[in-house]
Order: sequence, then structure tokens, then C-alpha cells
Amino acid sequence: MRDWARAHPIWTGIAALLVLILLYLILAVWPEWIDSILRSKKIFLSALFNGITLGGLYFLVASGFTLIFGLMRNVNLAHGSLYLMGGYIGYYVSYTTGYWLLAFPIAFVVVGFVGVLLQFFVFRRMEGEDLRQTLVTIGISIVIADLLLWVVGGDFYVITPPDWLSGPLETGIITSQRVRSSGEVTNFYLSYPMVRIVIFCASVVIGVGMWLLLNRTRIGMLIRAGVDDRDMLSATGARIQLVFAGVFAFGAGLAGMAGVVGGTFQSVAPGEDIRFLLASLVVVIVGGMGSIPGAALGALLIGLAEQIGSIYFPTYAVVLTFLIMVGVLAFRPQGLLGRT
Amino acid sequence: MAMSDFQSSIDASIARNRGRRPWIERVPPAYWVLAILLLVMPGFASNFVLYQIFGWTFILGIIASSLMFLAGYGGMVSLAQMTFAGVAGYMVAIFGDSAIDTISQGWPWYITIPLALLVAVLFATIVGWLAVRTAGIYTIMITLAVAAAFFYFARQNYEVFNGFTGFQSVSPPQLFGVDWQDAVPFYYLTLFWAVAAYFSVLYLSRAPFGLALQGVRDNPRRMGALGYNVTAHRVAAYSFSAILAGIGGILLAWQSGQISPGTVSIQPSIDILVIAVVGGIRHPIGAFIGAFLYVLLKTFAVDVLISLGLDGDRFNLLIGMGFLLVVFFSPDGLLGLWEKAKDRSRRDPLTGRPRE
Amino acid sequence: MTMTEDRSARRLQATGTENALELRGISKLFGALRALEGIDLTVRPGERRAVLGSNGAGKTTLFNCITGDFLPTTGTIRFFGEDVTAFPAHERIRRGLRRTYQISLLFTGLSVIDNIYIACRGVSRGRFSFIRPRRDDALMASAETLVRVVHLEDLKDTLVSSLSYGQQRQLEIAMALAGAPRFILFDEPAAGLSPTERSELVEILLGLPSHMGYIIIEHDMDVALRVADFVTMMHNGRIFKEGKPAEIEEDPEVQTLYLGGGDDA
Repeated sequence: MRDWARAHPIWTGIAALLVLILLYLILAVWPEWIDSILRSKKIFLSALFNGITLGGLYFLVASGFTLIFGLMRNVNLAHGSLYLMGGYIGYYVSYTTGYWLLAFPIAFVVVGFVGVLLQFFVFRRMEGEDLRQTLVTIGISIVIADLLLWVVGGDFYVITPPDWLSGPLETGIITSQRVRSSGEVTNFYLSYPMVRIVIFCASVVIGVGMWLLLNRTRIGMLIRAGVDDRDMLSATGARIQLVFAGVFAFGAGLAGMAGVVGGTFQSVAPGEDIRFLLASLVVVIVGGMGSIPGAALGALLIGLAEQIGSIYFPTYAVVLTFLIMVGVLAFRPQGLLGRT
Repeated sequence: MAMSDFQSSIDASIARNRGRRPWIERVPPAYWVLAILLLVMPGFASNFVLYQIFGWTFILGIIASSLMFLAGYGGMVSLAQMTFAGVAGYMVAIFGDSAIDTISQGWPWYITIPLALLVAVLFATIVGWLAVRTAGIYTIMITLAVAAAFFYFARQNYEVFNGFTGFQSVSPPQLFGVDWQDAVPFYYLTLFWAVAAYFSVLYLSRAPFGLALQGVRDNPRRMGALGYNVTAHRVAAYSFSAILAGIGGILLAWQSGQISPGTVSIQPSIDILVIAVVGGIRHPIGAFIGAFLYVLLKTFAVDVLISLGLDGDRFNLLIGMGFLLVVFFSPDGLLGLWEKAKDRSRRDPLTGRPRE
Repeated sequence: MTMTEDRSARRLQATGTENALELRGISKLFGALRALEGIDLTVRPGERRAVLGSNGAGKTTLFNCITGDFLPTTGTIRFFGEDVTAFPAHERIRRGLRRTYQISLLFTGLSVIDNIYIACRGVSRGRFSFIRPRRDDALMASAETLVRVVHLEDLKDTLVSSLSYGQQRQLEIAMALAGAPRFILFDEPAAGLSPTERSELVEILLGLPSHMGYIIIEHDMDVALRVADFVTMMHNGRIFKEGKPAEIEEDPEVQTLYLGGGDDA
């Protein structure tokens, strides 16, 4: 990080300036002219926070995708189906048991197991045949989508978080002030759904945990070595298939857990699989294939672009996301944090 | 999918083109039978068969052959072919006539059709340029993202694309006093363009550009060291594929009489891939075989499913399973199976050696 | 010997003011690995240079940098006076640079003549032609000429996959000669050849028109010293000695390092 800052002083300066502007926008009481440009602080802040928390959700989905790709060069286009499956399982578990928290481990384990099955029956049989693997996963995603539609139907399901999470949280951030004629100042504070904040924090914890696992443990070292050089990994005598299956299970399980999160944030319904597959694709193309920090950066960018876009230019929100992808591909085809 | 060296699929390389017999003698008898059958079809087939089965088959076949060209000869599997087709279809509706006369310009066909193809080609060139900046399996992801972006954009934009509803009453021009939307004229129209697409792909595969493209597929580094601009060849392949896809897209808009975001959504984009892969991407005929199967399934699967005691809605399950089976067991599609069978029948069952 | 020297002297006199190839400070890093470090190399038009060195000395990496298969980390490359450092491979090829590959990169499903035809087409106009060539194509004629230069005329309609290894190497050379090359890089053309094939190779190389300079990477000292005017020795990504074949042959350092030591040719 420090080396990077030294090597790119201009970019560091721009980044620092952006952070300062952002901090000002969040903390200060806005003067009239900013209000007139960005409508109101409340709208801006909720778009910003929605974007960041959506980025957290995208990160959960995309990090599994990018981890699997980075290690095994498997493009799993059924990743969205794993997400959707996790969402339905989460709904079922939390609805029948009444424990929202229980939905996460169960979705993780069940979908992770499906991931292992995929790895075992599909990817291992077609080692090195990129295109065939991709085509097979397209087929699988068609089949899973239709099976899910068959079993659960086309309705929307919303997973309800428990009471202690469902209320809004009073943040200390002032959205606006009213000055009475008496000179008395009333501050209006931003309140934000508690559940979103908690889930965002959880995804940060998971992200940091993954980073630590990859960078500070022996198994993480093995995985990173495998990302850099797959032949080397098998040369170390590591039980490579076990590592592969484990990473696949973990990546798939993350997608499943993300499904529960998505079901709580928004809803679970047919079509969400493709939406989240696309989000993962764009996130990893922008961030750099195979890079966990890249997935985090990409997820944040795409989440923000989507939410801020949908407030300020609703018709072109999707195009904004897409333009980010085009820009990255045009100037840095390996992705923002991807290696050449 | 084995994309090995210049395969037998390009059996007629330049050298073999020399010392040829007159072309008419070289056409295999099966081609004659098929050609005559297709030409006299309107004599005995119902309008439904002509318009819904064959018209649709030819159209999907044209679009799938554009993918076959890219994937088979260029090694680039694109999921944006339906999008290129859709762009052309939209342009015909926007510049020509439709029920939405606030947007449609009503220009004559000899301007709108070339213009629509031109826009599709430009769009595909830009997409191609983006997609070839990364290699291999990224292509499929980038083109999928492009397809999705165009779908969402068309759905949300009301000024030009008329949003969710799209354009209705898109019809072909009344040329030579013929209503080309009638079953028989439409059949011949689509047949003509299907044949044109088929032969142009075959012809191009052996022209310098096609050969160079196959060289780039097999060995990009070598082609660069021979003076070929690898990137330019790949991008040009996208541009050419968009001409085919665009023709298919215009015909598709006429066939269904409308163009809307549903035409270019993710599902049809993937369907084109399914069609091309199931048919076989080593030869353009695969695209049409795949399209024919797909149309038959799409038209009759509901009845078959119900008669089997299954839910008629499970069409996608059928398509998905069929696709999986083909990819699992015959990566070269049905064409691959056919070739294997032919190969086996030519061999002596005992010794496994080729028969005389 | 005097005749050879005489010939090379004439060739070297027939030079323009610009060097055929001029490398300044070329380095190439692969991660932490320094494959090339500070290479300076000047080759005059028509000059024939041998680059010798053990495996891993960076010879093929040097070729890859010169042809643009990948970009050097630092340094500049000038080809006939023109700075081509940032040019893609195909642009350099069109300026008259050619190369052969150590491992054969041929189109094995095509015939000999078709491979050469593709090479001729690559440096001609009409690469993007959508029209199939006619039988009396001019390029086909030049392909026919090239097939004779490398003595493969009897095999011209044979599929490359059924050629012997030595014949494939000869075909590689023919493909490098397509168009009007001004300078060629030969990457171990003699590796794996039989003694007869080797002398045939030497004959082909010596028979090239005198304005055509080349660099040859060769493990076989015998071949290298016969076909080169000048020798560059590389070790661990650096140039450590340059000189006439005779000087190199007699240099004690070189002798201990390569000639006396294990003859890996």
C-alpha cells in the first residue's frame, strides 16, 4: 500500500481528495448549493449507504465466484443459481424454525455441499476444458432455475429479520437543521435500517476473515500458491483435489449465505439468479478476476453506481454500471486490482 | 471442446481448391434432395409449418450460424449474438414503420434495412473490441454482461426503445406487390437468407480472412509472427457475425411482428448458444440442425410433456437437460455424433480398421 | 576461409547508415526473475550474428522481445533506424523482421504449401480478403518458390503432421522467408537435426541473399561458427563476450564455460 502510494503520487492525491470530499458530504451540514445539486442530504446519504450495503451483498456473492475462478480457472455460471438456492433455503429455515440466524449456517452448508457435488461431478471430469465447463454450468443453471420454479413457484419471498434487528438505527449524522425564529436549532438525524448495517458489518468481517485466511494461514498460502501457479501446488504434494473441493464448497457456501442476505434485504424470486450472476461477473471483471480485494473494490463500485445511479439518473442506472465495466476493460483489461 | 488445429472441417484448404471439377458435379446428392425438398415444401406443408416451424428455424439458424462462425472459426464464444440481432430488429422498427408512430420514423426499406445492419455491425465491432481485450473464457462473461446491459437499457429507455412494450406491427415492405408476411412468401424469404448465410459462412471459411481467423484461433502467437494483426482479425469476425445476426434479427422482428426487450433478454441469448452448441459449432449446418430441433421442442414439447404426465411448463428443464447431455457426451454437438457414427460405419467392426 | 571472409566483408560494406537492429538497455523481468539485464546489441544490415549461451541464458527471451511477442521491461529497440519498442508483433513483421520458433508452431492440419501460403499472405495485402484466391494467385507462385528454397518441393502437398521433424524445421525457415524479409531471427534451427540435415541447413543459410541479415541462436558451435560473421555470448541474461568466430573459439573463458564443458548440442 505504501509502495503503491509512493509509486503513484497523483492517484494517491486524487484518492485522498475524494475521501475528504466524501467525509465532508457525510459529516457537514450542507449549504444550500449542495442541496440544490444533490437534492437533499437525506436522499444522498441513503443512496450512499444503500450502495455500500448492496456492495457488501455483491461482495459476498462475487468473492466466492472470484475465489473459485482464481484457484481453479473454473467459470461457474451456475453461481447465481447457488445464490437463489441459498435464498430459498434461508427462507424455509427461518420461516419454519423462527430463527433467522440459523438460516445462515444451514444455507452455507447445504449450498456448499451442492458446490462440492458440482466440483466432483462436473469440474473434475473436465479439467482444463474451460469452455465445456462453462457450457455445462450454463446448462446446470437452466435446470436448477426450472427445478426451483417447479418446487417453489414464482412468488416473491421476503425473509424477515428478527425483532432486535428490524428497527431503524439512529445514526449520529445530521441530515438537516431547522433554525426556529427563536434561534433554537433542531437537528434531524439520519436513521438507517439496523439489519442492513449489521449485515454489512458481517460481510466486512467475512471479507477480512477471508483475507486473513488467505494471507496468514498455511492453507491460505497453499491456495494463493495455487492461484499463482497451479503446477506448483501439485508439486508441493498438497492434496490438491481436497483443496479444490474445499474452496469450491466455501465459495458456493458464501453464495448460499449471500442468498439469505439478499432475501432479507430485498426478496427471493425467480430471475434473481441471473441478476446476481451478472452482478458477480461485472464485479469481478471490474475488480480483477481471482482477486479478493478486487472483488471488494468492484462490489463497492458497482453497488454505489447502481444505487446512486437509480436516484440521480433512474433510466440509465444499468448503463452506468455497464459503462464502468467498459471503461475498465478499455483501459485496464485485467481489472482494477487484477494481475496481468 | 476440442478446437485443435485446422480440422477436417476445413477440409478444402487452398491447395485442394486447385484442380477442381465443375462445381455442379461436386455437390453431393443429399444436397440436391434437401434443396428440392425445401423448394417444394409450400406445395404440401401447412401455413403453420411454413411460417412457425421453418420460418422460425431458418431465422434462429441464421443467428446461430453467426455464433457458429465466431466460435467455430474464431474460437470466441459470444453470448451477445441475439443482442446484435435485436439491435438490427430495433433499428428497423425505429427507422421504419411500427405501431409506435411517435418514435418510428417511417423511412423507406432501402434506407432502414442497410442502416439497421450498419448499426448492428458498429455495435458488434465495439463489443468485439472490448471482448477481445481479454482472452479465452472472459469473452463469454463480457458478452453476457453486454447482452444483459442492452436488455435492461432497452427495457428502461422509453425515448428510443419504447421501454417494456417495445414496438408492435413491425412488418416487411410490400415489395413487388407481395405481402412478405404471408406464410409462403415469408418461407421463401427466410429460406433465401438462410441459404445465403450458410454458404457465405462456408465460403468465408476458406477465403483468406477465414483461414487467417482459424489460424488465429489455433495459434495467435504464430499468426502475429507472420504479420497478421490478431486483434483486428478477431474484431472483424465480430463485425461480420453481426451482419448475419442482423439479418436474422430483422427477419425475426418481421416474423413475430414485434420487437421488445423480451426478444433480447438473457434467455434467448442463451438459447442461441444452446442451439449452436447442440447442433455443433464445427460446421454451419449445425446451427440449422440445432435451430430445427429447438423449434420442434419449443412448439411441441408442451404436448409431449403433458402426454408423459408431466407439467407442460417444464420446457426449460427439457432444454437444459438436453443441452447438458450433449455437452457432456458429445462436445461437438449432434454433428459430432453423426461424424462418429459415420466413422464407425466405415470401419470394420472386427478389426476397427477403415473399410475399403 | 578467405572466401567466406571476403564475402562477409562485402556484405558488411554494403550497408546503409542505419543499423539493422539496435538494442539499448533491454531488460525483462518475469516477476522477480531477471530474464534479461541491460542488453546492448547492434547488428548491421546484412550481418549474420550468432547468439550462444547455455539454457536459461535469455536467448529466446531476447528474441521474444525483439519480435514483440512481449514487451521488454526497459530499453529501446530500433529496427532499421525506426523505434519499434512499443510496436505489436505484426507491425514489426510487416517492416521486414521474421523469426522461426524453437518448438515448431506450424499449422499441422494444412499442407506444406498452404502453410507457406499463409505466411506469404500474412505479409501481403488482402489479409482481410473475403474473396477466395484464384488458382493463379501471385502469392501461390511465391509460395512455390519458397518451397524449392528449402528443398521441400516433393512434399508440398503433404500434411505438415506427417512431415519428419527435420522437414518441419525446414518448413519453419521457409515461412520466415515469406515476403521480403530484411532481417531474420533463427531460434535453434539445427536442434534435433541429423548431421545430413544440419549440413543442408548450413547450405540454406549460406545461400540466403547477401542483404538478408540474421541472428541465429544455436547450441551447435559447429553450425553457429560456420554461418555467422560475429558471435555474441550470453550468460544469465547478460552479454558477456562478443567477437569474431575465431576469437570466440579461442577465448579461454568461453572454452571453459561452453566448449570444453558438457557438449549439450
